[in-house]
Amino acid sequence: MTPIVPTANYLLLAAVLFCIGMLGVLVRRNALVVFMCIELMLNAANLTFLAFARELGDATGHISAFFIIAVAAAEASVGLAIVIAVFRSRGSVNIDDIQAMKH
Amino acid sequence: MSQITTFFQTAPVNPQQAGQALWLIIALPLLGALTCGVLGKIIGRANVHLVAVGSVLGSFLLSLLVFWTINDFNAWAPSPFGPVNYAVGADYGTWFAAGAFRVNLGLTADHLSGTMLLVITGVGFLIHLYATEYMSHDAGYWRFFSYLNLFIAAMLTLVLADSMPLMFVGWEGVGLCSYLLIGYWYDDPAKAQAGKKAFITNRIGDFGFLLAAFLTVLLVDALAKTPVTNFDHGGRMDAATAAKRFGDGVQAKGPLAFSVLEEASNALPRVLQQDIQTGPLKGHLYGSMLTLIVLLLMLGAAGKSAQIPLYVWLPDAMAGPTPVSALIHAATMVTSGVYLFCRVSYLVVLSPKAMAVIALIGASTAMVAALIAFSQKGLKKVLAYSTVSQLGFMFLGIGSGIFWAALLHVVTHAFFKACLFLGAGSVMHGNADEEDITKLGGLRKEMPWTWATFLVATLAITGILPLSGFFSKDAILDAAANNKLEHLEWVLPLAWGMGLLTAAFTAFYMIRLYVLTFEGERSKDAKVPQAHESSPVITGPLVVLAVLSVVALVHGLPIMHPYYDSGARQTLMENFLDPVFRTANDLVRSTRYIEIEKEEHLPWLAWGRAWIIALGAGGLAWWMYRSFFPGRKPATSGALAFFKKLSFNKFYVDEAYELLFIRPTKWISTNVLYKVVDAFLIDKVAVGGTAWVTARVGSILRYFQSGDAQAYAAMMALALAGGLVWAVLKVMP
Repeated sequence: MTPIVPTANYLLLAAVLFCIGMLGVLVRRNALVVFMCIELMLNAANLTFLAFARELGDATGHISAFFIIAVAAAEASVGLAIVIAVFRSRGSVNIDDIQAMKH
Repeated sequence: MSQITTFFQTAPVNPQQAGQALWLIIALPLLGALTCGVLGKIIGRANVHLVAVGSVLGSFLLSLLVFWTINDFNAWAPSPFGPVNYAVGADYGTWFAAGAFRVNLGLTADHLSGTMLLVITGVGFLIHLYATEYMSHDAGYWRFFSYLNLFIAAMLTLVLADSMPLMFVGWEGVGLCSYLLIGYWYDDPAKAQAGKKAFITNRIGDFGFLLAAFLTVLLVDALAKTPVTNFDHGGRMDAATAAKRFGDGVQAKGPLAFSVLEEASNALPRVLQQDIQTGPLKGHLYGSMLTLIVLLLMLGAAGKSAQIPLYVWLPDAMAGPTPVSALIHAATMVTSGVYLFCRVSYLVVLSPKAMAVIALIGASTAMVAALIAFSQKGLKKVLAYSTVSQLGFMFLGIGSGIFWAALLHVVTHAFFKACLFLGAGSVMHGNADEEDITKLGGLRKEMPWTWATFLVATLAITGILPLSGFFSKDAILDAAANNKLEHLEWVLPLAWGMGLLTAAFTAFYMIRLYVLTFEGERSKDAKVPQAHESSPVITGPLVVLAVLSVVALVHGLPIMHPYYDSGARQTLMENFLDPVFRTANDLVRSTRYIEIEKEEHLPWLAWGRAWIIALGAGGLAWWMYRSFFPGRKPATSGALAFFKKLSFNKFYVDEAYELLFIRPTKWISTNVLYKVVDAFLIDKVAVGGTAWVTARVGSILRYFQSGDAQAYAAMMALALAGGLVWAVLKVMP
């Protein structure tokens, strides 16, 4: 029997993953990398859900994780489509070049 | 004979049903107004005439039925204070309520309302008929008849209302219709201006009416809380029961119902010298508050009935079509002030001070208006000032405490003045709208019907003995000469003197008007060489009104059995209105605020004096304008010319008002309200300031709107982190 990993460890791992993801979103300039970082954050959330589900013996956390996976897939497809559209129109996926959202 | 009397004193319909159906009298002309106003253009001129005249005729027939019903002793209107005899009425339930205050929607027709009903719908019908011909060339006929019908409906609401708020609805309604009809030809700026003048002047009066109503609410509420002994009915009922009945009545009908006020007036004499103990009026005397209420009502009546200081709108109101002048500004609307005081006669007689003011205002209005009428050149202008003057007589009657005579004068005046106005309209119709009397003349042969009826009406207004105007005017002057107000004994004799003088003036200017219009040679400045007589649709109503202004004298004859505490016989009108004024008469007898003296025999001396005055002044006018000024040259000698100029310019009252009230108001409106409040405070500070602050804040905030999604995300992350820190700090022990 392998020793049971304590829930706190999972949560810490999730927090670290989330922070790495957020840092990536905030500082990286390549839109694709930003996307990957968002996926990282989503998976950090998944991990938290699952950790608590295991701790509490409750299936709700699993279901939530499945939902997130489904939503993440949809989001990734739409996001990639946008990235491709942006690349086609501007010839770049650098976020600094895309600043249409201002006054 | 007794069979005939019995026949007319038996109700033709069930009085209770008649009371329930009173609203129909108002609804008919209202429906007519709606039909003419909305569908008038589609259904065409003839149908509009049919609807407008038909609805008023229907109202008239219903009024006749009601009038017949209330002659029956067994006709009674329900009231919380026991049935009211010689009346029909119905309470349709709560109109509006707020807390303990409520107003019921109720209609009542008693002998006073009944008389007014017949005058309004009867004269109204004749004038509608006349107007179908008079307005036959006007393109806006549907608008005209719609307004006219609406006016009839509003006026009927005014006289049928059984509470002050509902009366106020009618009061405002007639004011609105008056405004609409004066400014009927609104594309003429002068006429539109006259309409505005009438409306704004009436606003001042309506303000007084409203304040009086508010004060009445407070007064009745305070009275209901006084000790029960105040409500003692002199043995007919013990005080506690009477007090409870009063409280219940106020609960059931609201403090502004006339039945409540009438009941209150029985208790008021006991508290007039006491301070009010409760409510916002605490510390004031009941008596002074009552005087204030009556004076505020007088302000309202002065606006509507064109008395000093608010009479200036009525002469200008002649800008409206002539049928309007006859109906609204002579026969009906302008008498609503007199009607109001007859309605609340029981309050008026409790305040001799207010009565003195009313009598003096009436007498001086009568005199000033008569003096102005001396030199006016417009046919309708003279008649307008004559109306103001006659209304002054009516208020003199109110102030002298002879309410029935004031109302009789309303009735007779409605007949002869409507006849005069319609006659003037006929003259203008036949003379290419010429209304300058110096450019008319000699119409006697060319317009025989108009001439004859005009002559009868002129004689009626001058007070020649056998005509109706004599009896009503003389009854008023008689009361002013014989009655005395407590502590103010000098007022009524003074008012009587002014009234007597005014009677002479009346004879003078009316005969002048008649002579210049109908006698002598035709003026060289006349617009048409030969006048033509108007059609029978116009002369018909004239003849009816002329006949009425003669036969109305029956009401002034002292033919009824004597009054129970004096030997003098009652006149028909006095006897007829006795149920209405009984409370007031009882109060006069018990309080002795007014000393009433009645002559036991026929007042031959007073009658002879009135006749001499009328004949003398009229004869003087006849002689002056027929022989002395045959060429109609103006009087040029010093004092006379000066007076004539003064009179012609209406004593410069309009100019004085312009200088004293209108200019300051305009100055304040322009320099304070417009330039400071509107342009600066509202426009610059409030509206402009909001825009300025928003723009400044925005120009700072725009630096945060870089368009960089990552910067936004960073801001969100920072905020989230802040939230997280705050949450952790909160949950930490």
